[in-house]
Amino acid sequence: MIPDEFGRVVILLGVALAFPALPLLVSYLLYLFHIRPERPDPIKHETYECGVIAEGGSWGQFNARYYLFALGFVIFDVEVVFLYPWAVIHADLAATALVKAAIFIGILAFGLAYAWKRGALEWR
Amino acid sequence: MSTEIFGFDGVNVWVDGLVRVLLIVGFMTVVVMGLIYGERKILARFQQRLGPTRTGPVGLLQSVADALKLVGKEDLRPRNADAWTFELAPYLVFVPVFLGFVIVPFVLDWQVRILELGLLYFVAVTGINIVGWIMAGWGSDNRYAMIGGMRAAAQGISYELPLVLSLLAVAMVVEVPSDSATGESLRGSLNLNEIIAAQAEIPNLVWQPLVLIVFFIAALAELNRTPFDIPVGESEVVGGPFVEYSGIRWSMFFLAEYAALLIMSLIFAAVFLGGWAWPAGLFQDDPWPRWAQALLVTGKAGLFIFMVFWVRASVPRLRIDQLMSFTWKILLPLMFAQVLINGLVLVYDWPEIVLTVTGLVGVLVLVMAVDRAVRHPRPRPAPATQLEGEAAS
Repeated sequence: MIPDEFGRVVILLGVALAFPALPLLVSYLLYLFHIRPERPDPIKHETYECGVIAEGGSWGQFNARYYLFALGFVIFDVEVVFLYPWAVIHADLAATALVKAAIFIGILAFGLAYAWKRGALEWR
Repeated sequence: MSTEIFGFDGVNVWVDGLVRVLLIVGFMTVVVMGLIYGERKILARFQQRLGPTRTGPVGLLQSVADALKLVGKEDLRPRNADAWTFELAPYLVFVPVFLGFVIVPFVLDWQVRILELGLLYFVAVTGINIVGWIMAGWGSDNRYAMIGGMRAAAQGISYELPLVLSLLAVAMVVEVPSDSATGESLRGSLNLNEIIAAQAEIPNLVWQPLVLIVFFIAALAELNRTPFDIPVGESEVVGGPFVEYSGIRWSMFFLAEYAALLIMSLIFAAVFLGGWAWPAGLFQDDPWPRWAQALLVTGKAGLFIFMVFWVRASVPRLRIDQLMSFTWKILLPLMFAQVLINGLVLVYDWPEIVLTVTGLVGVLVLVMAVDRAVRHPRPRPAPATQLEGEAAS
């Protein structure tokens, strides 16, 4: 039955998309009735930076350390997703499945130890 | 079975689903307003203040007044901001949190829909809101917002790992009665109803004390609550990704934040404290009546929320290098070890007390690691040659 497992997720998705639109709509209506102010001003629409005029944009280069952690996350998160199916049925499998999972986690742990040793986990 | 509630028997599934969803929307909005008021009141008490008192009796209408004010405020967008990213970001923060409500079991047989892959679904959808944070940070074209967005991303993804692994560890130990004829039972489930039903007599907190603590810490970080609030720290990045938002869009971020707190508390109550089943299962085989179950769940979720507020009132903000070291060097290895131990104990049918003992040893290790870090703090890392997030030009 399509509606019955993820169909409800779809319903909730629809409501979740519509729900934030509601206050936006109310806000717009208030504007139409001149209750909510809408007075554009060049200074008001300036980028905020503690009172001084912002020099240049912020879309420049960014420190690479964030990238290192993002890489680590992608690797570990994908591996963890592979562990989920094993976790659900592991107790009914033979002990060899545990050994295989242990090897799998061991490789992960080795990768973590390697990253640690190389200083990838240090925030510099 | 689930369509019998509230006389929905025989009602079109779509209508039934819609009614449930709308009920949850209403419930969530009211609870979020209550939570905002509750947080201000409780935090005020911790700081020997009174908190809101003027609006309504003992300030009860404060959240309503705030909401009205926010709707009536001008909806500003900085000239340099990227229009699409800036205006869509609140959606991407809000919608994933909302989607998580599908699997939350409020009482027995009452939820939008129990999914067989419940916990996996939960971590999958709630992980998306990091994208919204980055969009808010990037779209604002503001340095504070950019730094905040980047920090939110770094912290969000780093603490996602212990969170996902802790839920995995719990999913492993769940005992599911499978075959009534042979009386055999299986281990391992991601279905929240089965997870709760398995805890009727002894909640998971007994078997997995370490996992409970790691989940709590990771949840604090995922929710960007103190002491893990560096992405939004007012004294450093003046609100982080939200700095350029005002009025109704800003309130959406707030709504999402408290909705996320609510859903985390409900998941915590379900996964570790036995949701509606424990301690009812100790006294009788049948579940308690629905109102009593609802009270149980509310109490357990309330406990989690109160602890979050309590931590916020007691612990100062961490530095980003401390924060990243903590999850990658302490929480993540501990969780890998816990998953392996769970596997060993369950495959070889060792007595379950081994789980408790190893869990407590893990808690001890965690406490000692934190204690050592507090007593011998690492020096602050040398300032980088260019400011964090600063353009090279």
